[in-house]
Amino acid sequence: MESRRPEKPKAERHPNVIGASARPIYDKGTFVEKIKEMMPDSELMSRLKQTFPEGEFMLRENQENTKLYIILDGYVSQVKEGDEVNTNIGMQGPGDFIGLLSFQTGEPVFTSAKSSTKVTTLALDHDSFEVFLTRYPEISKTLQGLIFSNLAERYRKVVTLHVEVAELTKQLEAEKNHLKKTIKELERTRNALISQEKMATLGELTAGLAHEINNPASALLRSVDYLVTTLPDMAQRASALPDTGLVRFFFEMGLKREYADTAEQRVRMKELAKKYPYINRGKLRTMAEMDHEVLDRLKPFAEKAEKEEMLQLLLDSYQSGIFMNGIRLSTARIEYLVKSLKSYSRQSGKEPEVADVREGIRETLQILGNRLKDIKVKIDFPEIPPVTCFVGELNQVWTNLIINACDAMNDVGELYLSCGLSEDKNNVWFKVADNGPGVPDKIKKRIFDSSFTTKTASQDFGLGIGLAITQSIVEKHHGTIEILDRQGGGAEFVVALPADS
Amino acid sequence: MSDIYIICVEDEPQVLDVVIRDLAKLEEVFPIEIAHSADEARQLISEIKEEGNRIGLAICDHIMPGDKGVDLMIEMQKDPFTEHTRKVLLTGQAGLEETIEAVNKAKLNRYISKPWKPQQILEVAVDELTTYVIEHEKELLPFMAVLDQERIQEAIRSKGYV
Repeated sequence: MESRRPEKPKAERHPNVIGASARPIYDKGTFVEKIKEMMPDSELMSRLKQTFPEGEFMLRENQENTKLYIILDGYVSQVKEGDEVNTNIGMQGPGDFIGLLSFQTGEPVFTSAKSSTKVTTLALDHDSFEVFLTRYPEISKTLQGLIFSNLAERYRKVVTLHVEVAELTKQLEAEKNHLKKTIKELERTRNALISQEKMATLGELTAGLAHEINNPASALLRSVDYLVTTLPDMAQRASALPDTGLVRFFFEMGLKREYADTAEQRVRMKELAKKYPYINRGKLRTMAEMDHEVLDRLKPFAEKAEKEEMLQLLLDSYQSGIFMNGIRLSTARIEYLVKSLKSYSRQSGKEPEVADVREGIRETLQILGNRLKDIKVKIDFPEIPPVTCFVGELNQVWTNLIINACDAMNDVGELYLSCGLSEDKNNVWFKVADNGPGVPDKIKKRIFDSSFTTKTASQDFGLGIGLAITQSIVEKHHGTIEILDRQGGGAEFVVALPADS
Repeated sequence: MSDIYIICVEDEPQVLDVVIRDLAKLEEVFPIEIAHSADEARQLISEIKEEGNRIGLAICDHIMPGDKGVDLMIEMQKDPFTEHTRKVLLTGQAGLEETIEAVNKAKLNRYISKPWKPQQILEVAVDELTTYVIEHEKELLPFMAVLDQERIQEAIRSKGYV
């Protein structure tokens, strides 16, 4: 700016507490004009003239002052100096007084005065003030009137300030209450969002789990159906066999069967079909699953077409073993899934518990198994101290981070999970990394914002606020979360939590 | 005469075991082959093709390691060799979008959700194979024993063979 002309002092305000008709009795402008007129002829006035360059302190707070300055030209700002911040009290201009209070009372200066422009004053000490009044009776009355009016103005200001302060306090109180309400509202909304997001993830998980459980459930149901029709007659059919122990043998072999490669299976089936052209494919398929030792025991019955019934019985027995084993495996699978789900989704109590966080991550992996079919999960979990935490909430963190990684990799890639103890041993850290495309630096800064998502509505059941919630859960645990670039490509989330000593 | 195959693609061995068992009755006429993944299925399909046989019915799980069931079916639909194969999706979970994709792009014929009812797979397989043989076979009598006799008789009448 070219000129630093300060704002003109505000026009006198007439607050409603004081009569609105109050008006300066004496006109400052005329007074200054008068002095300026008289100055060239007055040796005293010329002697009393004092000028200050711009930016100089005319008075400093708490210092002694023996002079009264009457501003003739220029502007002076009055400043109350605080410990940290200086407060501008106001601007004084031509016809105003500087140092009036300290001059009159002899007390230390109350507010500092600093010239805002070049300032010309008439500087009166007590002696010259007396002389001035007697020497120039024609203006002394005006001077006294102005002094009085100045003091009255100050008083008015004080009253106005009191009223303003009272009003401000009231307003502040109202705003404070409003803010309190808003914060409460926000907290409620946040909690609602958290539980909504949780339900959304749960919905997604349930869909995955449905598949995970429906597979073993199908195997279970159909296996039992088969056994219900096959087993009852088996004992009776076995009576035709030369050795009833064979039924048991084949059953046990069926129980122990291991799954072969399907292509290899086809080759074996073709070989068997050549060897036994009269045996149908259904039987050949079961035979193709047997190893040589078992097949040898079957030979006497396979080689003669007329022993077909016994062959069928032994194959049924073998097949029953297979289904029995299937039932065993399927049940174990369902049991394991349900157990994981139970501990995964356990509601956190009011009090945190001391827990091995690695367990929570392992459970989360179980629950997310469906999403991880094409993802190689590499786990490096050395021993770490436990963490005081809300296990259920932290599981939400792992779920979000792992789902996030899966999304980034389009469900095909590698997931790296690791943990460790910080050097100062105060924190345990957990890393969830992937070999996906990584996160551009520009996005890194915003990735934890609740309004930020790269997902479109159709991609995800969630609200796209997973990472914001993740961060808020981590912060609730007095931990930190950050996103880095994984060495070798991909993103790496690092969660640090205070370790239990 | 070339054989008409049934192929089952499913990554869970226990599920595959019971599917085959459910379809056992059909194997007298339609050889069954199995695959644990889409990749294995591709190999299987090319073997069946090389041997000069056909595939009448494909029963396929959706969620498997590697390519998904729906992807495999879309691929089969594009290949003239498997274009007319009847396609059945057997799954515990497929999203609406994937199912729509399967219907539109793979001309999916049926959808069976896991776990299925006793006889359900067999009934669906019989129904679909009946359609297949009526559309693609001249000689329908050999299929009477295991397929839908009423529909086959009806077809024989309308085609004018007796």
